[in-house]
Amino acid sequence: MNKSWMKRQSRLGYLFIGPNMLGVLLFFIIPAAYSFYLMFTDYRFMDPDTNFVGLANIRRMLGDEIFYVALRNTFIFLLAVPVSILLSFLVAVALNKSVYLQKTLRALYFMPYITSGVAIAFVWMLLFQPTSGPINGFLQGIGIAHPPGWLSTTESSMYAIDIIWIWFMLGYNMIIYLAALQEIPEELLEAARIDGARPLQTLLRIIWPLVSPTTFLLLITGLIMTIKNFGIIQAITQGGPGNSTTVLSLFIYQNAFRYYEMGYAAAISWALFVIIMIFTVLQWLGQKRWVHY
Amino acid sequence: MMTLMMSGFALLMIVPFIWMISTSFKSPADVFKYPIQWIPASLNWEHHIKVWSGSDSFVTYYLNSLKISLISMAGAVFLSAFAAYGFARIQFKGREPLFLVYLSMMMVPPQVLFVPKFLMFEWAGIYNTHWALILPGMFTIFGVFMLRQFFLSVPAEISEAAFIDGAGHFRIFFRLVLPLAKPALATLAIIDFSWHWNDYENALVFLLDKDLYTVPLGLQNFILENNVDYNGMMAAATAGIIPMILVFLIGQRYIIQGVAGSAVKG
Repeated sequence: MNKSWMKRQSRLGYLFIGPNMLGVLLFFIIPAAYSFYLMFTDYRFMDPDTNFVGLANIRRMLGDEIFYVALRNTFIFLLAVPVSILLSFLVAVALNKSVYLQKTLRALYFMPYITSGVAIAFVWMLLFQPTSGPINGFLQGIGIAHPPGWLSTTESSMYAIDIIWIWFMLGYNMIIYLAALQEIPEELLEAARIDGARPLQTLLRIIWPLVSPTTFLLLITGLIMTIKNFGIIQAITQGGPGNSTTVLSLFIYQNAFRYYEMGYAAAISWALFVIIMIFTVLQWLGQKRWVHY
Repeated sequence: MMTLMMSGFALLMIVPFIWMISTSFKSPADVFKYPIQWIPASLNWEHHIKVWSGSDSFVTYYLNSLKISLISMAGAVFLSAFAAYGFARIQFKGREPLFLVYLSMMMVPPQVLFVPKFLMFEWAGIYNTHWALILPGMFTIFGVFMLRQFFLSVPAEISEAAFIDGAGHFRIFFRLVLPLAKPALATLAIIDFSWHWNDYENALVFLLDKDLYTVPLGLQNFILENNVDYNGMMAAATAGIIPMILVFLIGQRYIIQGVAGSAVKG
């Protein structure tokens, strides 16, 4: 190819990606760079006196008790991911067989994922009412005298959020598993049947290993998605009672827009970035080992 | 047997929705009655009327959400398609590193961007306007990524033949590739629309005035102001969910396809 043709191609290429590139620059790259700078300042909203403080924000974060509470809560929040994956695997296997109403059932499982997180947050808030809510009504009905206080006590609140999150993610994971299950060659399962494998054996020894790349992918992307989310928690509990549902992502939001500690919030948000980067690197390494195209 | 079990479990998945709708029609005294009254003794429409009328009406929230979601979606689909074609089909200097920059931006959590965006919008005078949601909403890295995958799967021979016939990239893009990509474009459009419709976090950070509120914010506002009116809360939640259920029923095939495709290939 001659040079002028290459040049023309390059110009055309920039013309095509230019408009989108401009937006990515304005709304992703520049803000990210700016946030990186803010991390080293004591910037507070409306305060004209901003100083460069070096690593003070990071030191403050590492000495902040609530930061560790938030970190711990974040890990409890992340527990929902493997549980939801396991459940959705079982559902997907069941729905992959020819079941009546297959399509309708898939749609029903997927429904929570498509609906607004805020609306379902409020529905669950009422369902979880400790004294008169339907869930505890049911539990007392089957003979549990002292059902948990769910969102109202510091011990149980994070687990109540986990339940909501498991319910929310299940349909999404199920759809991805269904796609993976359809890739499994029918002959393989046929062969197992002929060799006398029982259904449970087939499930554990053949299907589960075969979809392991999908499991790994769902695990990592689920962790990343969950760690970023704070809307559902902000809507239900605002981090309470106490700080028992303050996760890292919510902690950042509170510091920035409730206390206007924007420099400090920037520092914590980069801590979140580091965690996400670790998951992303794991996924990248995992893809090489697990995912066969 | 399997059908029965799976139906039972599926019912568990949608029971919160059923309870929500049923409660929105109950009288206040019946909300927490146990055993649960699934079908209210009498249909109370007053809670729904309250949600849809008055000064903070869901009509306003719907119109705001619709405006923001539709403009963002249209912009996102068009701009992503353009960029995705560039990345997939044109050889230019720095293409690979640029695409890597795009991908790395997917790693940046939204929390990193909130404060700087807030300050930028304040400075530009678009904080607390719909532009603060629409402008950034028109750019989606996921969209570029997804459509690029699709364009790569369109056989190169098609555009090569057009090249020989003297067509340029613009002609090929508009006349050949875009029409072929209709299903992928529809998938992105529906997924993107649902993101914008359900977006609570950005609205929470960038909107202040009640008359600008989107559906998730309006819902939150309604519940803060009526926090003892459980029937009203559930009527508001119903109003917040119905549009997405409709979109889902219409676009089910695309949504499921898009979700499955993006994860398996991503």
